[in-house]
Amino acid sequence: MSVDEVGRWPLRIGSRVLRRFVETRELTLLVLIVAIIVGMSLASPVFLSLANFRAIAIGMAPTVIIAVGMTVLLVSGGFDLSVGSVLALASTVTALLLLSGASIPLAILGALALGVIIGLANGIVVTRIGVNPLVATLGSMSIARGIALVLTEGFSLINLPPAFGWAGRAEILGLPFLLWVALALVVVFDLAMRHGSFFRQLYYIGSNEKAARLSGLAVDRVRTLAYMLSGLLAALAGVLLASRLMSGTPTAGNALELQVLAAAVIGGASLRGGEGTVLGAFLGVVFVALINNAMTMLAVSIYWQMIVTGAVLVVAVALDMLVRRGDE
Amino acid sequence: MAAPLLELSDITKWYGTTRALGDVDFDLKRGEVHALVGENGAGKSTLLAILSGVVAPDKGTINIDGRAVTIDDPSRAQALGISTVFQELSLAGALTVAENVFVGRAPTACGVIRWSELRRRTQQILSPFGIEIDVGRPVDRLPAATRQLVEIAKALSLDARILLLDEPTSALTSDEVAALFDIITRLKTRGIGIVYVSHHMAEVFQIADRITVLRDGRRMTTRAVPETSIDDVVRAMVGRNLEIFAAATALVPGPVALAVRGNGAKGNSRHLELEIRFGEVVGLAGLMGSRRSELARSLVGLQRPPGGAAIEIKGRPTRLRCLRDAMTRGIAYVPDDRKAEGLFLSMSVTDNFVVTALRRFARLGWIERAAAKAAASEAVERFRIRVPSLAAAAGKLSGGNQQKLMLSKWLASDPAIIVIDEPTKGVDVEAKREIHKEVRRLAAAGKAILLISSDLPELFTISDRIVVMREGQIVGDLPTRLATEESVMALASGTGHKHEGEAA
Ligand SMILES: Nc1ncnc2c1ncn2[C@@H]1O[C@H](COP(=O)(O)OP(=O)(O)OP(=O)(O)O)[C@@H](O)[C@H]1O
Ligand SMILES: [Mg+2]
Repeated sequence: MSVDEVGRWPLRIGSRVLRRFVETRELTLLVLIVAIIVGMSLASPVFLSLANFRAIAIGMAPTVIIAVGMTVLLVSGGFDLSVGSVLALASTVTALLLLSGASIPLAILGALALGVIIGLANGIVVTRIGVNPLVATLGSMSIARGIALVLTEGFSLINLPPAFGWAGRAEILGLPFLLWVALALVVVFDLAMRHGSFFRQLYYIGSNEKAARLSGLAVDRVRTLAYMLSGLLAALAGVLLASRLMSGTPTAGNALELQVLAAAVIGGASLRGGEGTVLGAFLGVVFVALINNAMTMLAVSIYWQMIVTGAVLVVAVALDMLVRRGDE
Repeated sequence: MAAPLLELSDITKWYGTTRALGDVDFDLKRGEVHALVGENGAGKSTLLAILSGVVAPDKGTINIDGRAVTIDDPSRAQALGISTVFQELSLAGALTVAENVFVGRAPTACGVIRWSELRRRTQQILSPFGIEIDVGRPVDRLPAATRQLVEIAKALSLDARILLLDEPTSALTSDEVAALFDIITRLKTRGIGIVYVSHHMAEVFQIADRITVLRDGRRMTTRAVPETSIDDVVRAMVGRNLEIFAAATALVPGPVALAVRGNGAKGNSRHLELEIRFGEVVGLAGLMGSRRSELARSLVGLQRPPGGAAIEIKGRPTRLRCLRDAMTRGIAYVPDDRKAEGLFLSMSVTDNFVVTALRRFARLGWIERAAAKAAASEAVERFRIRVPSLAAAAGKLSGGNQQKLMLSKWLASDPAIIVIDEPTKGVDVEAKREIHKEVRRLAAAGKAILLISSDLPELFTISDRIVVMREGQIVGDLPTRLATEESVMALASGTGHKHEGEAA
């Protein structure tokens, strides 16, 4: 080992640890989240309360569920703008079915099936016909929202059977059922994306589609399934939201797709595909939810919140780019 | 004497904990071809990247005409008269040949591109290579060899004083190499200095005036060509003597694994008859435009067989509609473009290795990391793939090491029939021998192998039979021991007599 090398040792190790830290997005986010919690606990007495945390958890549960599907898609190089509309459509369809006398399981299954079908349509249009995912899902976003509004003439559907509200109200071990569902999905899909042989294929496809095809992966089928999963999870979020609000709301989830995308990207997913983890996207959602909550606590106006969320997104992605460039 | 055209001293470059270059001195005189050789990962491309402003050295100075310069970005390199042909082609695929050659410098009139002038000048630049192509065609529709020629033409058109060529001939056939050497000789008389990186020792000794050997990022030696020999250079590269690998081809091949039957099929007069047996290596030779890659791709379901030929697998007529059809029948295809078609550059070495065998490494849908890593590390060892770690992204390996990784990835799927397009593109002498040995070992284990290579000596080293294609037809099929390089070239270019296989 030359003198030159010896001199570089401590610096090299130090910068490696630092880089590893910045590179592991989950870790960075976790630290930021803890920092917000500590900071806010000092700044506001109401922040660190069970009631506030419960409100945050219930509020973000649908976003987390949708973010799981979005991450799976982003990793495969896909993209889904229709999730917010599918959530609204699923919530109104559940309500409509219930009001027309269908049993609760049937109403839920109907809404979930609809989500899968929209996902399938997205997948086919993107993979078989080759329409750009942005355009394809922009179209289905508009169509799904339109159907929800046509079905309800723009009104919320209320007077749902009381038993349907169970999922939205229930608590297990002191935590809201909604949160349990969201956490279970995060854990299952995070592990599946890391170790499952089916879900690993998404990384290959997103990283180099041509090579994935030549390596014998069923690229179109896997990508279509990813769209179906995204549709299914968006519909599930819609059903749970309907249960919590005890109404079918055609205007729910407006601009949710952008929030979810922002959270997934903050969590380390890339719009170019091939990168991202479900855990990262989850932490991204938590991070954004906490920032919004903190700003509400500090009585920052809702308009400013939008500006801050946008700025956080750009800064997160810009930092990521800088780290990568330094890495060559 | 005047200062040399280019002088580098003490150049050092680290990538993380990998030292790509350590205190390297290098110089280039006017009108000289200075070859840079070394094993895969020795640091050759890194040195050129520093000279072309793509990466910055950690230490060291660069002098041009005796004056110190900093080359901190590619446009600066261009301004200094340095022009580069990179190892990994860097053309914009969707743009036309002409636009690529004149990127950013298209002739204009009042800000409007003069397309006809652009085309004319491009044709002018390409003409010395004897390639006739429509310069209005998008680059990604061209075969690899033509793309490489376009890349070279582009670098030449910059009127550089210093030309850096990183493995410029890896996809070229001998005629094209000869054309390139003519051009290089002409450039030399104009006082242009050329740095020439290659793994082909014969080429290096033919064209270079001096040779510098790099090993592990260190300069081992610099010699004038008349005073050294291939053996000396190879010894300096690998640190010991290499014995020549002679393939053992004394085996009796098994039943026919893969056959193409295109003789007169459907009123087609093209001759396209080919049989590959288990246990043999068939080499497919041909010049550019012989459509041999097309034939290879049709054997693995990537396109229809040329001229409506029929394909038989293990004696049964089969229609392959896609690559998966071929894979389920035990056929593997190793593409010739490692970057675009072979590897997942942002993913780890292990991930790249297991992709073709995800199912084999999975139990109940769960990938067994430990098994995958163990298999990847075994392959890395066997093929001497130089990697910083198994977790490093494939894109960070040197070109030749990427090639080895791609090959090993395919062998991991344990196919019965293997179609390989240019297996040793950009691979150093020692690794090339390892790959040749591996191909022979696979044949000995009963696999059927079809191998395409522009490197004739390579075909002669590992094939049992050599099949020659010209203009979409098979014009010769002869046992390697009866073939000579001259007879194969004559068949491929259409100047020779027809051979045995043709009789049928
Ligand atoms: N971007 C990068 N990040 C990390 N390591 C790198 C990077 N580029 C090159 N290296 C490492 O630097 C070393 C030298 O690589 P280089 O590409 O210069 O080799 P080379 O001599 O051109 O080899 P080849 O004959 O295979 O093209 C290798 O060990 C390689 O892994
Ligand atoms: Mg190289």
